[in-house]
Amino acid sequence: MNASPLATAGAEERRALGFLAELSESLAASLDLRETLDMAVTRIAGFMHAEAASLFLLDTASGVLECRICVGPVDITGLKVAVGQGVVGRCVAENATQIVRDASSDTRVNANVDAETGFATRSILCAPLATARGVIGALEVINRRDGGLFDADDAEILRLVAAPAALAISNAQLAYGLVEQQRIKRELELARKIQKTMLPKRRRGAFPLLGVNVPAHEISGDFYDFFDLADGRIAFVIGDVSGKGLDAAFLMVRVASLLRWTGKRAPAPAAWLAEVNAEMCKTLQDGRFVCAAVGIYDRTARKVTFASAGFPPALLFGAGKFEELLADGPPLGILAEAEYGERSIDLGDRALYLFSDGATDARDAQRHTLGSDGLRNIIVRHAALAPEPRLRALLGDLKRLHLVDDTTLLLLQEPCGKSAHQLLELTFPARASEMRAVRAALRGALDAQELAPELRDRLVLAVDEACTNVIRHAYCGECDQNIHLQLVREHDILVFELRDRAPAVDPTRLTARDLSECKPGGLGIPFINALMDEWKLEPAADGSGNILRMRKRIGMGEHE
Amino acid sequence: MSAAVNECTSEKLGDYTLVRVRGEVDLSWSQQVRRAILDALGATGKVGVELSQVSYIDSSGIAALVEGFQNARGKGQQFGLIGSSKSVMAVLQLARLDKVFPLFGSIDEARAA
Repeated sequence: MNASPLATAGAEERRALGFLAELSESLAASLDLRETLDMAVTRIAGFMHAEAASLFLLDTASGVLECRICVGPVDITGLKVAVGQGVVGRCVAENATQIVRDASSDTRVNANVDAETGFATRSILCAPLATARGVIGALEVINRRDGGLFDADDAEILRLVAAPAALAISNAQLAYGLVEQQRIKRELELARKIQKTMLPKRRRGAFPLLGVNVPAHEISGDFYDFFDLADGRIAFVIGDVSGKGLDAAFLMVRVASLLRWTGKRAPAPAAWLAEVNAEMCKTLQDGRFVCAAVGIYDRTARKVTFASAGFPPALLFGAGKFEELLADGPPLGILAEAEYGERSIDLGDRALYLFSDGATDARDAQRHTLGSDGLRNIIVRHAALAPEPRLRALLGDLKRLHLVDDTTLLLLQEPCGKSAHQLLELTFPARASEMRAVRAALRGALDAQELAPELRDRLVLAVDEACTNVIRHAYCGECDQNIHLQLVREHDILVFELRDRAPAVDPTRLTARDLSECKPGGLGIPFINALMDEWKLEPAADGSGNILRMRKRIGMGEHE
Repeated sequence: MSAAVNECTSEKLGDYTLVRVRGEVDLSWSQQVRRAILDALGATGKVGVELSQVSYIDSSGIAALVEGFQNARGKGQQFGLIGSSKSVMAVLQLARLDKVFPLFGSIDEARAA
């Protein structure tokens, strides 16, 4: 009995829809995509009455399709086809179902596969795996079992069954990508922690070396280190591995270890660099190199021996002047026979700043790099601070810009602490009539420091303005309460401290007016701003009164 | 540093009023200087403040000079500083007022202006 073509089509369509629903459900419910796809491709082959079926997935980076799943007499899993080539490649390139009615005469068919496998391809149907993200692969069925040819109806059915497969694969790929990202993130976090443990711990007490490392991403290509030598001197190291990312980070770990173990034997810095360089040249490949500087510091003599292998110029700062220490040889890992110079520096009270190029590469909102001059300005701006708050302030300024690279700072300076000595201590009633005597005492104390008269007068003015502000604004007028003035010198910094017993003053209410306006009054704070390097007003720790501290660096390079 | 006593006097030279200030001008007596300047401006005619014997001046002293200058300008009166000492000039520069006040080297120069 012959059913009408229409009725046959209707029955076939119902069968296809039933199959599709079942297939979609199994793909949607699946957690193990590979197993499910295996099963799905087998069932699709069965449903399509095909001798063989295969599923190709696209590697978007390379534009190559690879057979991932294959059922049938010949296993072509792993077979690769470029997009645009052959039936599968063209199907993907055109995002269109391909029908090959006679494989032997169709130019799209790659005859090599049959020649290699011994399989006789007669008829092919290939549907793209289309998703919202684009075509991600193709589903191919080969040879009808009944010996017939695939027709347009078959093509339509394959197109339909390809859709849920594409969706399932796409979802799985996205989910996998997400899981992979999470995994990488966790591992990078772990790597960051391991790297951090390699940096030396901050020493307690008055230790002359302070370092800080800010990775641009999770992991860093920068490092610093310092350690005690057997003879009591201190060795220090700073380095910057070329490139970023995981490989730079691994290299950093290796070089940091190498520098430490070589340095432990206390070689002279030039020999130290040469030894590490020779070792690195033996093993480093792919053009990587490491910029590093090493030094040994003798605290009793306050002398540093220092050598730099292509590291950015170190800055020696003291008495208002910078001295630049340029590299003594090429970066490590480039020339096996490289030789390095070294130099001996009388550090004295000066500060030696070592910074990786991430510091000078910091960018402002207009993408202008900070540069060496910008970095010097920041150093000068915070020069009056003690080393630790100074390093924090430097880093704060750099962070306010945009750090595009790993950034590392190492500061060598003998902490002052004990060398501070008091030049003047005065207690006087909060009365304007007292100020003349206070100024005279202050002039005397400053003259003993051999200050230029102009600078002396300016400092006297600043202290006078501060005292009259205490009288007028903290005590709200003259009274019998006292003002305590103390002048301390810490190396080349003068610290003026004023204490009162007045109710706490809110420092945020003190604002300087613009000097470009011409009007009487309100000049006190602008004067202090102009005359001192910095000042800070805070409530006394015991809650009684306020403390104003004003600092002025009086180095020999003083320029007004 | 001269230990001159603080002093502020006014004298009439024809239609010119000269306020002479000596010593260290600070909060303890800058109000007297201010009063003397404003009183001088109360009369008609030019006013000058002679500052060659001022060894120190603080912001309250500068404020008295600024007030005098503004007062005079409001009335179209001539007002100037005469023979400002180095100490005074340093503080005027600091306050960026050295280009604001008419500055004269001598009393004759100020009267002739």
